Amino acid sequence: MKPVIEVKNLVKTYGKHGSAFTALKNINLTIDSGESVAIVGKSGSGKSTLMHLLALLDRPTKGSVAIDGVDSTKLRARKLNRLRNQSFGFVFQQFFMNPNDTVLANVTLPLKIAGKRRKERHELAEKAIKTVGLSERSKFKANNLSGGQKQRVCIARAIVNNPKILFADEPTGNLDSTTGEKVIKLLFDLNKKKGVTLIIVTHDEDLAKLCDRQIRILDGKIVEDTKNKGMTKINKTTKPTKKTKTQKGVK
Amino acid sequence: MKFFDLLRTANHNLFRNKVRTFLTILAIFVGSFTIILNVGINAGVNAFIDDQTTALGGDNFIMLMSKDSEAMMSEQMSASTGPQEFTEKTNTLGVLSNKDIEKLKDIDGIDADSFYSPTPLNGTGYVTSSKTDKKYNVSNAMILPPGNFNIPLAAGSLVDQTEDAKQKSQIVLPPDYPQALGYEKDEDIIGQTITFALKDEFDNTFKEFKAEVVGVEANGIVSSQFGMLLSRALYDEMYAFATKHYPENYEAPTYYVMATFDNTRFSEDEIKQIISDAGYSAWTINDMMGVIRTFFDVIMIVFGIFGGIALLAAAIGIVNTLLMSVEERTREIGLDKALGMSSGRVFAEFATEAILLGFWGSAVGVAIAILIGNATNAAVHAPGGFLEVFPTFNLFHFTVSNVLPIILIVMFIALIAGTAPAWKAAHKNPIEALRYE
Repeated sequence: MKPVIEVKNLVKTYGKHGSAFTALKNINLTIDSGESVAIVGKSGSGKSTLMHLLALLDRPTKGSVAIDGVDSTKLRARKLNRLRNQSFGFVFQQFFMNPNDTVLANVTLPLKIAGKRRKERHELAEKAIKTVGLSERSKFKANNLSGGQKQRVCIARAIVNNPKILFADEPTGNLDSTTGEKVIKLLFDLNKKKGVTLIIVTHDEDLAKLCDRQIRILDGKIVEDTKNKGMTKINKTTKPTKKTKTQKGVK
Repeated sequence: MKFFDLLRTANHNLFRNKVRTFLTILAIFVGSFTIILNVGINAGVNAFIDDQTTALGGDNFIMLMSKDSEAMMSEQMSASTGPQEFTEKTNTLGVLSNKDIEKLKDIDGIDADSFYSPTPLNGTGYVTSSKTDKKYNVSNAMILPPGNFNIPLAAGSLVDQTEDAKQKSQIVLPPDYPQALGYEKDEDIIGQTITFALKDEFDNTFKEFKAEVVGVEANGIVSSQFGMLLSRALYDEMYAFATKHYPENYEAPTYYVMATFDNTRFSEDEIKQIISDAGYSAWTINDMMGVIRTFFDVIMIVFGIFGGIALLAAAIGIVNTLLMSVEERTREIGLDKALGMSSGRVFAEFATEAILLGFWGSAVGVAIAILIGNATNAAVHAPGGFLEVFPTFNLFHFTVSNVLPIILIVMFIALIAGTAPAWKAAHKNPIEALRYE
């Protein structure tokens, strides 16, 4: 497996001098292409900060994050923006969509930012919307959808640019368990079928166990990095609560 | 993101909060409307003056005077108010001596034969005709000045300038005199003889002169300045009467001389330079018209300032609207940036919104100003309108070249106003922006 993300000696400090707070303390981490990784931890543990740094939304205080072997700290803003736009997909707990725009308009946003032509945008977006099973709703106002549907629109938006890495920040946090399951299934389908690297930030242990690998963060440090034995197959009958064997302490 | 996407997105975002956008556009509209009406009326007046000047001809006319006279006249024309400090230069109406006139006649390019020094006909006078008992004031009477003047006429022709005709007593009347003198139409009085009377100031008697009416002047700001135009013979006769009690050998002082110059060889500026080098000053027809223009220009500047103040207030409105918009859309900006939109693009989006506000405000301003301007033009030319008698005078005159710059300037002002909000939006941190509640 090829490493898609390599993190070396990553430190993130907020504030300065006396009031400084170190959110991440010397993190080292390698994520392979096609892996599904759960970053787990309590709130305030630093897991969101880690995701922001992995997703290049923030710059580290020290250390480096390399995407496909390219050190992002050495990239200029323009390249960083392009990298995020073309290689990453984002799914957020709070959806973050433009409620007064149509589903189609929301899904095309990354392509619009990329500068793709209108026709191409619409074709790709319709494809992504079909993948999440909302084809009949593409002309609907995003605001008129249910929570589960909204999150599926966000997934469509996240995959419309064919990303290498999909970041999901508490993707089921605002959903009930049934719709949550659908969303999770969708994410893992993408991971297994299309080989998209999936990085999920969550405090939901059950969701975390579905991933190939769990990285536990506590007080800004990785305290546990577990890989499941073999590949866990997710099929229609698999419930998210099904337990899988874990192997502790792989570092 | 491509340019049209940018434009479309900005326009779409703009009309998300319709009421707020509408009110901001309204504020910009008020400012641009004022300025555009102002520009329109200024162009209208100037076009009319140009029109009148061109119709009048006289582009080889030149008025010669001493440098002192010119300085004094300029001072007076510049509409300065209040007591002016005395300087010899600005308080001397320089008299031209016979020597001066000889010198001026020698200047190459000036036609010595055209020299004409009008002496005003002092005294009380009236005109009347056989068709009426009433007598009417004579406001202004002069000989047709030299130069290729083409004074617009409503009927008849100008007084004959040929040597033969100079012996005849002829007169051209200003507008409305034919009707006052008992003739229904302007054409009816042509060829008729009227009575022109001057008062003898010493024995209080009136001396009557007969004059044949050859023409009637058309209405116009410029042409009505001429008053009654007399043939040389009539003028000489009346002048001799008006000055008969003056001491012998009395000569009225000459303050200025009218003449023509060869405008095929010299431009106005060139002939003025030549005369200036000779130690005198000169005014052309355009200098004289310039005085009228200056008067209008001053009024326009005042209205322009009002419009400018309104635009300034509107610019503050733009800042306010966009700042609120940036706050409201913080999370959206965060999302855009997370998905790879550059700070420059975010800035461009808000700057474009500002420019569009300016565009809509000024475009609506232009549209309504043109509608109102054209309606006013039609109204003032309708029967009973105050410009009925000046059919060529369009009060408001709009052209692409006077309207387009206003739209562009307003868009530019809007862009400046939008800079601060756009900067604020562009520098939002995506993570913090996404966390914003």
